[in-house]
Amino acid sequence: MAAPPEPGEPEERKSLKLLGFLDVENTPCARHSILYGSLGSVVAGFGHFLFTSEIRRSCDVGVGGFILVTLGCWFHCRYNYAKQRIQERIAREEIKKKILYEGTHLDPERKHNGSSSN
Amino acid sequence: MAHATQVGLQDATSPIMEELITFHDHALMIIFLICFLVLYALFLTLTTKLTNTNISDAQEMETVWTILPAIILVLIALPSLRILYMTDEVNDPSLTIKSIGHQWYWTYEYTDYGGLIFNSYMLPPLFLEPGDLRLLDVDNRVVLPIETPIRMMITSQDVLHSWAVPTLGLKTDAIPGRLNQTTFTATRPGVYYGQCSEICGANHSFMPIVLELIPLKIFEMGPVFTL
Repeated sequence: MAAPPEPGEPEERKSLKLLGFLDVENTPCARHSILYGSLGSVVAGFGHFLFTSEIRRSCDVGVGGFILVTLGCWFHCRYNYAKQRIQERIAREEIKKKILYEGTHLDPERKHNGSSSN
Repeated sequence: MAHATQVGLQDATSPIMEELITFHDHALMIIFLICFLVLYALFLTLTTKLTNTNISDAQEMETVWTILPAIILVLIALPSLRILYMTDEVNDPSLTIKSIGHQWYWTYEYTDYGGLIFNSYMLPPLFLEPGDLRLLDVDNRVVLPIETPIRMMITSQDVLHSWAVPTLGLKTDAIPGRLNQTTFTATRPGVYYGQCSEICGANHSFMPIVLELIPLKIFEMGPVFTL
């Protein structure tokens, strides 16, 4: 949840909440998953209708497609997001170590160069 | 702190809270999809022309709607248990603070490196300075270092209280005669607010918690080490 705006700052737009509770704009991967899910739903539902001309069943296929595609995109995106966060954390800690220990015997670059020259 | 119309979680100030926010997003997406499916089923039920009341024996559907919820529950339970065990990890705290709940204020004891003990009362509205937060600011804040594992030992002198700081993902009951422990590591400096989270009498809403998180170098120059 973002911090409230300071006085003088432009007001934040009201965030879009699907079904009143899913904040699509501020939840990582949510917008991406819902959009691809909607696309999947239209493709599956419309495709089924083109082949069978059954409206009711095509709607069911569309809903099923929405759920499956959203879920698939969600897990895929969240997995990559988690990997990215871990890499960011490692990079942050390495930068901190580099700043703290540069020029000393604990300098990570010196250790790395020392091991590669050996 | 939370702003006036806030419904969602506050920004995370500890790694555990970041994990809790991630889990919250994960569970919310699953809940959204289930709600969507139920709404669709409701819509179909309300608009159907089928009136046969002798329908029975739908084995395949019954199998699916038994196994699928079980799978969904496992998908929710696994990350939940992961975070649960993560909160109980032993991480060798550098500092231990005792927090004692009273009616209606908190007492904090920094006894690791000296004998600093103080009470923390809510600032009455008449004593507020411009910029102070009504019903949240206190006379003495809990000053702690960032990026340092800290252990909080929480208990109570009289009735049940609960020491809660949402941005750190902390809420621990203060029970008379019992010592509860919680640990955390703050990742960024700032002033963070919490409120007593267990009904404890007339002024239960008026015993807030305020943490002032500062860099370790500045913390070491403070009264904890110099008194």
